[in-house]
Amino acid sequence: MLECAELYFNVDHGYLEGLVRGCKASLLTQQDYVNLVQCETLEDLKIHLQTTDYGNFLANQTNPLTVSKIDTEMRKKLCREFEYFRNHSLEPLSTFFTYMTCSYMIDNVILLMNGALQKKSVKEILVKCHPLGRFTEMEAVNIAETPSDLFNAVLVETPLAPFFQDCMSENTLDELNIELLRNKLYKSYLEAFYKFCKNHGDVTAEIMCPILEFEADRRAFIITLNSFGTELSKEDRETLYPTFGKLYPEGLRLLAQADDFDQMKRVADHYGVYKPLFEAVGGSGGKTLEDVFYEREVQMNVLAFNRQFHYGVFYAYVKLKEQEMRNIVWIAECISQRHRTKINSYIPIL
Amino acid sequence: MGSLFRSETMCLAQLFLQSGTAYECLSALGEKGLVQFRDLNQNVSSFQRKFVGEVKRCEELERILVYLVQEINRADIPLPEGEASPPAPPLKQVLEMQEQLQKLEVELREVTKNKEKLRKNLLELIEYTHMLRVTKTFVKRNVEFEPTYEEFPALENDSLLDYSCMQRLGAKLGFVSGLINQGKVEAFEKMLWRVCKGYTIVTYAELDESLEDPETGEVIKWYVFLISFWGEQIGHKVKKICDCYHCHVYPYPNTAEERREIQEGLNTRIQDLYTVLHKTEDYLRQVLCKAAETVYSRVIQVRKMKAIYHMLNMCSFDVTNKCLIAEVWCPEADLHDLRRALEEGSRESGATIPSFMNTIPTKETPPTLIRTNKFTEGFQNIVDAYGVGSYREVNPALFTIITFPFLFAVMFGDFGHGFVMFLFALLLVLNENHPRLKQSQEIMRMFFNGRYILLLMGLFSVYTGLIYNDCFSKSVNLFGSGWNVSAMYSSSHAPQEHKKMVLWNDSVVKHSRVLQLDPSVPGVFQGPYPLGIDPIWNLATNRLTFLNSFKMKMSVILGIIHMTFGVILGIFNHLHFRKKFNIYLVSIPELLFMLCIFGYLIFMIVYKWLVFSAESSRVAPSILIEFINMFLFPASETNGLYRGQEHVQRVLLVVTALSVPILFLGKPLFLLWLHNGRSCFGVSRSGYTLVRKDSEEEVSLLGSQDIEEGNNQMEDGCREVTCEEFNFGEILMTQVIHSIEYCLGCISNTASYLRLWALSLAHAQLSDVLWAMLMRVGLRVDRTYGVLLLLPVIALFAVLTVFILLIMEGLSAFLHAIRLHWVEFQNKFYVGAGTKFVPFSFRLLSSKFNNDDSVA
Repeated sequence: MLECAELYFNVDHGYLEGLVRGCKASLLTQQDYVNLVQCETLEDLKIHLQTTDYGNFLANQTNPLTVSKIDTEMRKKLCREFEYFRNHSLEPLSTFFTYMTCSYMIDNVILLMNGALQKKSVKEILVKCHPLGRFTEMEAVNIAETPSDLFNAVLVETPLAPFFQDCMSENTLDELNIELLRNKLYKSYLEAFYKFCKNHGDVTAEIMCPILEFEADRRAFIITLNSFGTELSKEDRETLYPTFGKLYPEGLRLLAQADDFDQMKRVADHYGVYKPLFEAVGGSGGKTLEDVFYEREVQMNVLAFNRQFHYGVFYAYVKLKEQEMRNIVWIAECISQRHRTKINSYIPIL
Repeated sequence: MGSLFRSETMCLAQLFLQSGTAYECLSALGEKGLVQFRDLNQNVSSFQRKFVGEVKRCEELERILVYLVQEINRADIPLPEGEASPPAPPLKQVLEMQEQLQKLEVELREVTKNKEKLRKNLLELIEYTHMLRVTKTFVKRNVEFEPTYEEFPALENDSLLDYSCMQRLGAKLGFVSGLINQGKVEAFEKMLWRVCKGYTIVTYAELDESLEDPETGEVIKWYVFLISFWGEQIGHKVKKICDCYHCHVYPYPNTAEERREIQEGLNTRIQDLYTVLHKTEDYLRQVLCKAAETVYSRVIQVRKMKAIYHMLNMCSFDVTNKCLIAEVWCPEADLHDLRRALEEGSRESGATIPSFMNTIPTKETPPTLIRTNKFTEGFQNIVDAYGVGSYREVNPALFTIITFPFLFAVMFGDFGHGFVMFLFALLLVLNENHPRLKQSQEIMRMFFNGRYILLLMGLFSVYTGLIYNDCFSKSVNLFGSGWNVSAMYSSSHAPQEHKKMVLWNDSVVKHSRVLQLDPSVPGVFQGPYPLGIDPIWNLATNRLTFLNSFKMKMSVILGIIHMTFGVILGIFNHLHFRKKFNIYLVSIPELLFMLCIFGYLIFMIVYKWLVFSAESSRVAPSILIEFINMFLFPASETNGLYRGQEHVQRVLLVVTALSVPILFLGKPLFLLWLHNGRSCFGVSRSGYTLVRKDSEEEVSLLGSQDIEEGNNQMEDGCREVTCEEFNFGEILMTQVIHSIEYCLGCISNTASYLRLWALSLAHAQLSDVLWAMLMRVGLRVDRTYGVLLLLPVIALFAVLTVFILLIMEGLSAFLHAIRLHWVEFQNKFYVGAGTKFVPFSFRLLSSKFNNDDSVA
């Protein structure tokens, strides 16, 4: 890239950056959440959301309103915004956008394959797929029986193709193998994305690399946590960790040897960033590790908006919006199931 | 002056609405648009309010109506628009209306769903026929190897073949055929190849006509394909891939006979479907036509109903829950109407207890209402764009009506351009009731809304154009010039006068390029031109110098008068708000400061114009130098404008210098003194402060006389001061900032008025250039071809005049005039910190409907 990207950034991406900052300003505020939490029914929730930037997005829904309808409509709205960004983007921002969609694509592929394994019809699962990760070949995923099949037949022309280099195997796709495939794909995806950001340099690298490093470390922790008590061997486990991030390489090796949560926590204690996170787990409000990670992610994403002239804002915006959607869904679920005690444990976006 | 000079007096009224009649009362109020409701439930979120259920019902009705309008528009049925707006529906009718609408919606949805289904069916059948027709050509090729396929059973008997081979051969040759979207063909074929590793044969052909997609309704190009494959396994895969690419797969007939049968069946079914579809569409149309008759009034009714419930949501309930209490701002002049509307509403609903109202005293600042008509509206908008006036403040819009077009015209001064603008505005004004103008595009609407401003701007430009004697940059000689060139010749004078004056003779005229007329020669200058500038200046080479001096002085004079007027308006404000001390401590020092410096400057300008004649003009001192010297107290004597000039100037300077500290410190010190209890006033007054300071018990013990006295005293103008918390430092800071701003502003604002000169100069020069570049060229050509050339030249001249001189220059002069009003004029007196009075009126709603409707 050029030395002083600040000078040229706005020529290509200024409009979109302005737009995304405007979108960010429309995220729900603390006051909005306070009001949402007070809602008695989903109808109330709808009325309140109408006063926010979501506007009339539920107006055409016939009664009765359900949580999943709200969720789909919100996703559609995010997808519309994202598509707009993407259609107006120039290289290399459009590559960046492609990278962003890849994670959703991986999720969708895995979701479809799991569905095929459980003999569910494609249409049923398609509804559950994230609209950001939609691609044409997606529906043919269940043709494949082995990962290499999947690659050769279906995904070779999609942006996911390069991530398959590590996981070409002839194993039949059972539940464990699919999970392994997901993690391997994710690993190579994150590594590729990280490399892309690093090569891009400038502020983008300064902002995106820590976020992706955090993402990688989070995956490492979650993989470790999920592998306790499964047949996954420790060597296999290590191969699933993304090979960058704060934990790489020492921490990852230690993590691979961990047997339970306490050992994992001991590994995290070596790192100033993760120590407080692990200490917060189970503390006030009974937060889970996931919640703590989400909070940290939100924090990093909000901070990304403090710098200008970089692509990180787009990533951060989508992630923040996703978190907001998770919050709304959480609140809506609590309301619809009359489970009000936990309604306040959404993750506030600062 | 009345209502435009100040905003109307408002009062806060409490409406007691019996819960049974509240709806009707509000409906009556909404029709009249008299009052602005205050939100009494501000801390209650929108979904916890009392009438949220009713609002939801209205929204439901709106949703149905939107659906209806959408369907009606889709069916291309014209939406009749009622002229009169129907009143909000009485409560009894609402349920009925809701039922009707819901029934209509269900019916419509049913019919449209059926129609869609039929249409989809029909489309599929059509696709199928197309497919059959196209694949026939493929089959012809296939026929050639069909016999081999027939022969397979014979081969099966061969014992040499191993089992797997037999399996393969035994598998049937399968066909999948269908239609695929044009854009997906390539990827589809590739994927087929990759998945089936070449065990398939794909043939496809483009369909020559575009068909509608049954799913999305888009009209696109399609490809017909035929896949022949081998074996069960691959067949599954092929089918999956077809699903993936959203192909429309239709069963493929195995024999020619079957094909023919299918085709015949299809044809009859298509025929049937067509007739059914037509019937359904006719029925749908009937339903929609019937719905279209009432939909307009329904939409408005529902809107009104929703608005009423929104307002009711702002009311609070009294203790018994039988009565709604609303607080409203109402102009005092309309109180009578308000009472009548309430009575009307109660009567309509047949309630036993009428709703009533009473006014309550308040200390809050009421909203600002300035009633405008179509003429004053535009000017009021210019002022409101800067800031809505504070309550009861002097409204600059009244003066803007004249000053704005005038200042504009000073910059735009051209008789011809002004007249064109005037004609354009006149056209708009005369046709203002034309419906197309009201619904015009954004830019046109802007002109339309400002039509009266344009009209006055045009008129004033005609006037200033006459003064400048400019008509499309040319002067008009209406009354005959006051200058006489022949008087300059020596032959017309007596010889004894020749020595005194510089006169011309033939040789002088022949040999000099530039000659100057001397007004002191008798007969050369016969007196001023009756109106405006003498047309002879149009020929003079020093025309610009002359005009510059004139326009510069004029703009300074106009500016100072304008600003002084602003300061004087400030006095009206102080008088009205009973802050007399502000007049003595702020306005008068401000006036003195302004007049002693700049008023004196005007005096000097006018004095110089009057006193010095053509003969004595050589000894006239420069005003600029004199003005600078006024501040410098020069040691050396200048000849000066008049005798005793220094003394006058010194007095003026002393007055100016004295007014500055008063301006800075006067008001804060006075307020401080007030706050400290007016120590030098009588004992009875300090008694009042004692009452204020002591507890309430003492107040009740004290005689009522004392309290009354105290109240009277409150009227004296210090009420606000005693009520608010007194903060001397803050008051001092504000006053100091205000004073600095004013003092510096006097100078910079005066300079700012020079834009009048600059813009008018620019305008004149630009039109001059346009004339010189175009018209002069056109007019110079000789007689025979000149006419031919003149036509395009005039056309170009007209276009450029309109776009550059009228629109562009006009816009820039308009903006500068706005600036002069907002900044230079209004900051002398106008606070503009009010809120606009927004009455609850249905009229605002129904106008919105028209917009939505045109969009929908």
